[in-house]
Amino acid sequence: MTVQTLFIGLDGATFTVLNDLTKQSDGPPVMPFLAKIFAGGVRAKLRSTPNPLTPPAWVSLMTGRGPGHHGVFDFIRAEERGDDVFFTLFDSRDCRVETIWSIASRQGKKIAALNFPFTAPPPKELNGFMVPGFVPWRHLRRNTHPSTIYDRLKAIPNFNAQELAWDFEQEKQSGDQLSDHDREAWVSYHLPREKQWFQVAEYLMREEAPDLMAVLFDGVDKLQHQAWQFVDPAYQQGELSDYHKRMRELSLSYFRQLDGFIEQLVTAAGPGVQVFFASDHGFTASTEIVRINAYLAEKGYVHWKDLPEGDAGKRRDNSYFAFLDWTKTTAYCRTPSCNGVTIRVARKPGETGIAPDQYAAFRTKLIRDLEDFKDPKTGERIIAEIHKREDVFPGAAMTDAPDLQLVLRDFGFVSVKNRLPAVEAREYPVGTHHPDGVFMAYGPGIESGKMLGRRHITDVSSTLLYSLGLAVPADFEGVVPPAMFTAAHKAAYPVIIGASTQSGSQEVQADSMSDAEKGKIMEQLQMLGYME
Amino acid sequence: MSIAIGETTLATVIAIVNDLTQDWGLETGSPPNASTRLSADLAFASVDIIQLCVALEECYERRFGFQDLLMRDGSYVGDLTLGQLADFVNIQLNKHERTS
Repeated sequence: MTVQTLFIGLDGATFTVLNDLTKQSDGPPVMPFLAKIFAGGVRAKLRSTPNPLTPPAWVSLMTGRGPGHHGVFDFIRAEERGDDVFFTLFDSRDCRVETIWSIASRQGKKIAALNFPFTAPPPKELNGFMVPGFVPWRHLRRNTHPSTIYDRLKAIPNFNAQELAWDFEQEKQSGDQLSDHDREAWVSYHLPREKQWFQVAEYLMREEAPDLMAVLFDGVDKLQHQAWQFVDPAYQQGELSDYHKRMRELSLSYFRQLDGFIEQLVTAAGPGVQVFFASDHGFTASTEIVRINAYLAEKGYVHWKDLPEGDAGKRRDNSYFAFLDWTKTTAYCRTPSCNGVTIRVARKPGETGIAPDQYAAFRTKLIRDLEDFKDPKTGERIIAEIHKREDVFPGAAMTDAPDLQLVLRDFGFVSVKNRLPAVEAREYPVGTHHPDGVFMAYGPGIESGKMLGRRHITDVSSTLLYSLGLAVPADFEGVVPPAMFTAAHKAAYPVIIGASTQSGSQEVQADSMSDAEKGKIMEQLQMLGYME
Repeated sequence: MSIAIGETTLATVIAIVNDLTQDWGLETGSPPNASTRLSADLAFASVDIIQLCVALEECYERRFGFQDLLMRDGSYVGDLTLGQLADFVNIQLNKHERTS
């Protein structure tokens, strides 16, 4: 048996960087193998989900459905309870629709899915192997499938679960505003992590030859959040400091290593394999801090609660969650990563918020006020786009989405802190998510040297199933890009639209986490640049 | 790991905790029991508690609403024993029995 389809996820990859790294300039390209993929395959920009964020985007890529259907909008699901808001981490059980891993499994295909977020806990019925991402090393064993695989992985020479997994302790040491030293350490930290995932992928491909071999390298995203100014070609002009040059070389060493891993995986998969690459979103520079709740407070929607005295007050002040007076607050932003505004509607007697019959007028006024949030110097709107949730999140899960989805003018993530001014320039540019990621294909039956028009992230799952010889479920939102495959291939293997997907996970009830838990997670998000 | 029918809830909680912590290199001295504290004795961090809650829900194939255990009188509890955790799960299971 041989691998039929190889999928390599590159979290946060963007052509802004990859085009530069595959170019021959003063010397050989940083990523010569990817340059070969560019020349011999097909590529396209890939439009992400309305909020181009890891949870909704990767889940859409894995399910072929938008967030309004799969229901995963953020890292954290918030639920108002009495005077407080409880925050719960999303996990695989919250996904309401079927993933390609399950779809392929139940049709007899053997799969391996490595490091994908929101795959823990893994589904019980799975034909193949799953090692989830975003799970601390201490919980990898329980969250791998099948349960016997963990001990096999431990026998791989140089396998190190602590290097491989999401390391909360390592990542909490740094904040958004890193010192030069910490930023350098942060980039260095991701070099061995990717090697661990590469080793696991190589091992499973060699020993198990799954029909669908899928691995996600997430260091691209993490590195770019903290080191964007060293990888974006636009920031490599003029006089550069020694530190800048050292950081650029360190960052390039990451991409050089990644290129080597890609080459080895593609080579090991064999000449008959179809290879696909995709990212969940692209990247760009964020140049300003937008304190959305502070602005909403100025407009009378948000009302801050008085901080308690002493240490409790300090903790609250430093908290990443807004400390709000729920009796008066009518609209607010829950988390920085959601980039949305939630309207509080009093649906039951005793609940606070606006009356249901006021909703339409209230939302219209709120949109106007958000449109009026302007740069005091230029008069330009700070919020470039404001989307109503029914327009961007149609589906059964829509009511879990923020009422308004915002796109900032620099694509940054908002801050929810109680600080002024409401908009302020950053000391230096940081990496943030751009809605256009990458989609690439290479191998037999795939066109050569073509740049296609922009595709949508839900197209990836349709394409992977098609490559496996499976029908594309009728309820998938994405399609197989017609120009990606040769005419001969399409004639021999026409795209078949098959039965709809089976139901996804079970009904979700709320649970909660402690303040300490919230803090840990938020430290993670801060590290990833979703915080001020 | 499979949980045999008829095992007590505490035994189930202990079995899951043992399974969860087997690679952690803990030096606890004695095996976990009802009075073992998650944080003080087993060095559970917040993410570990989340994972334990998920593991218990997976084992019993239902959600328990652990916020009712983790929060008392508007404040979050500092630590929990395995006995307290088992009692809470037991109460939830009994509630479920009565309503189903």
